[in-house]
Amino acid sequence: MRTSFHLLLLVVLLSGRTNAAEQRQSLDKSPKTDIAELLKIQKDVQKLLPKVRPALVAIQTGGGTASGVIISADGLLLTAAHVPNGPGKEMRIVLEDGTITTAKSLGLDEKTDAALAQLKDRGKPWPFVNLSREVAKALPGEWCFALGHPGGYDKSRGPVLRVGKIIKQTANSLHTDCVLMGGDSGGPLFNFNGEVIGIHSQIWEGRDQNVHVSMAPFLRSWEAMQKSQVIKTWGIGAGGYLGVATVMNDSLDLEVADVIEGSPALKAGIRAGDVVLSVNGEAMTDQQQFSATVRARAAGDTLKLKLRTQGKERDVSVKLAQKPQEEGQ
Amino acid sequence: MTNDECRMTNGRPGAARAGKHLSSRFRHSALLLLLCPLGLLADSLRPTLPAEERTNGKHTLEAVEKLKPLTIECAARIESLLGRSICTATIVGEDGYVLLKASEVPELHKVRIEFSDGRKADLREVHRETRLDLVLAQAVGITGLRAVSFGGAHSLTFGQWLCSVADAGKETRIGIVSAKFRRIPGEGAAMGIRMDEKAPKAGHGVRIVGIASESPAEVAGLQKDDVLITIAGEKVSLSSRVHDIVNKRQPGEIIDISYLRKDKEEACRVRLASRSKVLQNWEGEDFANGGVSLRSDNFPDVLQHSIPLHPIDMGGPVATLEGKVVGINIARVDRVTTFALPVEAFWAEAQQWIKADRHPPKAVPAQ
Repeated sequence: MRTSFHLLLLVVLLSGRTNAAEQRQSLDKSPKTDIAELLKIQKDVQKLLPKVRPALVAIQTGGGTASGVIISADGLLLTAAHVPNGPGKEMRIVLEDGTITTAKSLGLDEKTDAALAQLKDRGKPWPFVNLSREVAKALPGEWCFALGHPGGYDKSRGPVLRVGKIIKQTANSLHTDCVLMGGDSGGPLFNFNGEVIGIHSQIWEGRDQNVHVSMAPFLRSWEAMQKSQVIKTWGIGAGGYLGVATVMNDSLDLEVADVIEGSPALKAGIRAGDVVLSVNGEAMTDQQQFSATVRARAAGDTLKLKLRTQGKERDVSVKLAQKPQEEGQ
Repeated sequence: MTNDECRMTNGRPGAARAGKHLSSRFRHSALLLLLCPLGLLADSLRPTLPAEERTNGKHTLEAVEKLKPLTIECAARIESLLGRSICTATIVGEDGYVLLKASEVPELHKVRIEFSDGRKADLREVHRETRLDLVLAQAVGITGLRAVSFGGAHSLTFGQWLCSVADAGKETRIGIVSAKFRRIPGEGAAMGIRMDEKAPKAGHGVRIVGIASESPAEVAGLQKDDVLITIAGEKVSLSSRVHDIVNKRQPGEIIDISYLRKDKEEACRVRLASRSKVLQNWEGEDFANGGVSLRSDNFPDVLQHSIPLHPIDMGGPVATLEGKVVGINIARVDRVTTFALPVEAFWAEAQQWIKADRHPPKAVPAQ
């Protein structure tokens, strides 16, 4: 049991090696920061603030205070699942200017801490921000900024801003050094396009240990979200698991290097040497894109892979399983 | 407090989760050791930003390296007579004048100052201003210091970068203006105890029925079921009287207490803290990393920033990226909040204190 566990990890690691090398390169571009770079960041954040700030809300429930962010003119609200702690819950909402209204929680996913709520109709559009649909591409070292109501709504203080960097991304979460605390839960983490990339979720003791739900678990149920449907479960675990290790071969194709014992890929007949051409119709050009595509889907989802084996193309359907070993959130 | 709130305020359930995560990380590092001989990196699938490249990492701080003469050289470390770091000071006169956070140094004769050039000196108290929580002192026999160059704080903008002296005057850290300027009202002092409203059998003393986590009372060693006998020299038998004695004092003040524990009389000294903070953090849910300042409220005006500091960094200067000092750090409040007193709140006054001390009124000769 133990040995096989190590083995699995080894194979997974193999598949990640080149990715990491590429990503490291991008991190190494400018190891040292200068004042000009800091001032550029400041300018960009200050330019975005007036646009994104009105979409931040404070949430008051029977249990305490938290934050949230409006993502559509008709009042869809993102927050953390532990804030409403169940579907259909009434929550008191306070906007930055002190306007008070209510919202009702819709679907939520306890495992990833993602939740959606609907603001009461007020007869005119709500201020809102857009979501990033490409959060999987966010790299460690990228700057980001966080808003929230730590400790609860305080009119004389206003919302609290933090500017920091992405430290790490897992299938369902982003870790940053934007320092969070109680009351921030459900508040937005933004990229420099002013799009929401994360929802504040939890902290560990260290100052750099601030965890946000990434947009990945939200996007997995995007269609249901648009229809404001009540979503009870949004898939389990840390993204879909296929069980292949890939390499970029000499002709720069994405080639399967190894298939893990007992994995969905093996059951579907995928073998080492197969070249992956596309996933669900999307052409696959590199390993990073491939792993992000797989991870962005939940366990239980079916993927259609176009493969090329010894010059012949074929289509394979694979039902994704749950990852045997979960990393982080 | 309900469980819900604990989770949202990252309380005990949060702590339990943290423990879980940390232990799984530990297992991960054991695997890492196993795998290293094979030349693989355990985290290569999901790269983690190295510490030096984070917002307050070595590489990012390179940006403010050139500001050190305007920040670190204009600050000093305050240590106990045993050499332990107590807090930080901001140099405001080349002839040894410094400003400190008053509630951190109730007894100036029990501390020493160490400058960035290594010189050490005793401190002479010149003026103590409880309203601002500042004390002006002079380092005895020291000249040739570099004083800070003050700039206005009220022209700062939301999200503007700042840097500050950290690690007891040794390093700099960066952060931003993170909220609005405002007055912070005070709610008096507290030691963090709940008391029995009924008098104990013997008819005197007040029994403690609860102690706040990380509170002044806990730090001083008080426990549940101890019976308070005297507070600041006064015999007590009513909980309301204890409340009055404590509440009219300032956070940072020291009071002497004698109490009965299992019929044996004991004594301790309690350094009071801001009441609002003690009540808010009753269950010790703060995750403040390095603690919070004893006095964290009752300020006429504050600049709130996100620079990651510790209580020992209070009293040090906060500067813009141009090196203009815009305030003095006055309170580490919680995990995300540090307050600085903006220059406008104290400098005009402090200049008067210095002037009066440099040129004391001459005695008029008797006719």
